[in-house]
Amino acid sequence: MVVDLDKYLKQDKDYYIAIGLEGSANKLGVGIIKHSKGLLSNVNKAKVLSNVRDTYITPPGEGFLPRDTARHHRNWVVRIIKKAIKDANINKFDIDVICFTQGPGMGAPLQSVVIAARTISQIWQIPLVGVNHCIGHIEMGREITGALNPVVLYVSGGNTQVIAYSKNRYRIFGETLDIAIGNCLDRFARTLKISNDPAPGYNIEQLAKKGKHLVNLPYTVKGMDMSMSGILAYIDQLAKDMFGIQKKQLKDEESGEFITKEDLCFSLQEILFSMLVEITERALAHVNSNQVLIVGGVGSNERLQEMMKLMIQDRKNGQIFATDERFCIDNGIMIAHAGLLQYRTGGIIKDLKDTVCTQRFRTDEVYIAWRDD
Amino acid sequence: MRLVPTAEYNAPDIESHKFEPSDGPHTTYGKTTQISDIVIKAGGEDRDKPTDHNDTPLGNLRAELTTLQDQINIFLTDRMNLEKDNKNQEADIERRLLDEGVDEDESE
Repeated sequence: MVVDLDKYLKQDKDYYIAIGLEGSANKLGVGIIKHSKGLLSNVNKAKVLSNVRDTYITPPGEGFLPRDTARHHRNWVVRIIKKAIKDANINKFDIDVICFTQGPGMGAPLQSVVIAARTISQIWQIPLVGVNHCIGHIEMGREITGALNPVVLYVSGGNTQVIAYSKNRYRIFGETLDIAIGNCLDRFARTLKISNDPAPGYNIEQLAKKGKHLVNLPYTVKGMDMSMSGILAYIDQLAKDMFGIQKKQLKDEESGEFITKEDLCFSLQEILFSMLVEITERALAHVNSNQVLIVGGVGSNERLQEMMKLMIQDRKNGQIFATDERFCIDNGIMIAHAGLLQYRTGGIIKDLKDTVCTQRFRTDEVYIAWRDD
Repeated sequence: MRLVPTAEYNAPDIESHKFEPSDGPHTTYGKTTQISDIVIKAGGEDRDKPTDHNDTPLGNLRAELTTLQDQINIFLTDRMNLEKDNKNQEADIERRLLDEGVDEDESE
């Protein structure tokens, strides 16, 4: 059976346009996407009309507080929506559906964005679709890279999951048992007082490139899951000993050279990414797949992509797919794309009461009506 | 046309508390919606200030809503503080009853 994606196509139209609003963490994104009628394929790709983003950046050593992040989204959302519509060069009344992130994420920022979505929905008389943020990442990653049925590694500031599709659900094969990988990296950046501009993880990656010595850190893979809070506590303590009042100097056992800030960033990345590679490889074996798709903000880390590539090259016909920062880092276009797929299979919200956001919204809760494989 | 936002708060101990913005002037710069002090103290700058409102029905509504939001925030914060004080008082009575053996009637 082939899914009918054109059951809800408006008369006299042969395309759909969706606007997506994302604000589950410190990025506020608005994107506009166009699907031509018919199934999406290599010859019928979704078209990105605009993809605008503004990031709430805090001073070095500070994380982003929900209240101030929500304020950032609230005070920028109208300007970003206007810019997205201008960039897309469309009439707002040509939009078929307004898509917003319904969860998971930080409560206050989610709330700011859903209020904007509800408002424009009522003013413009356009239906709403609530989108799971993780599904947004997966569907956009599949669309951009052309990966058909990959094992998905979803790594970001708030999520760490290994996912594979089976019978209309993206099922979670492995995940973090405590903090997310991006959160681990960001918090270590805060300890080292590394700049949050453009992103703490990016700055750690640049420092790690200059690291030479691997510091021994705990390695905590537990079955298909992993734990990172202990590693963070351990390396945080090392950093505090080295750069705090004590000014303790650590030496590399082999070379006798002093351990630097760059070495700590390098070691943290190597250990965390090795753990990710291990559970991803095991998931590939479980589902008998040879494709890996990396999505989420941490997915733009070149070292992670390189390590994953080394693993996948050892598998027969192994392929790795990743997107650049426009689609990896949280954005509005992925919400528009996944939301439009949902709209095309009848998933619109009928009552405003059902637009309530939720901080906890697991990837496997969503029924994937637009896939039949 | 003037659009006036209003709000109403009900709770078991309050029958109804109505909020209405006064005649103004109103702005989009709310007292209770400023950036956190912690960010400014850490050397951050506020680049997320709201834009000024336009003199249109929707623009004026936005400014009046900011006033209304200030009123609600102040009211709810006061209630939270009152609740906290009551809880502290209760905890204090319990501590005195259990630790110091003070009779409940005496303590009132």
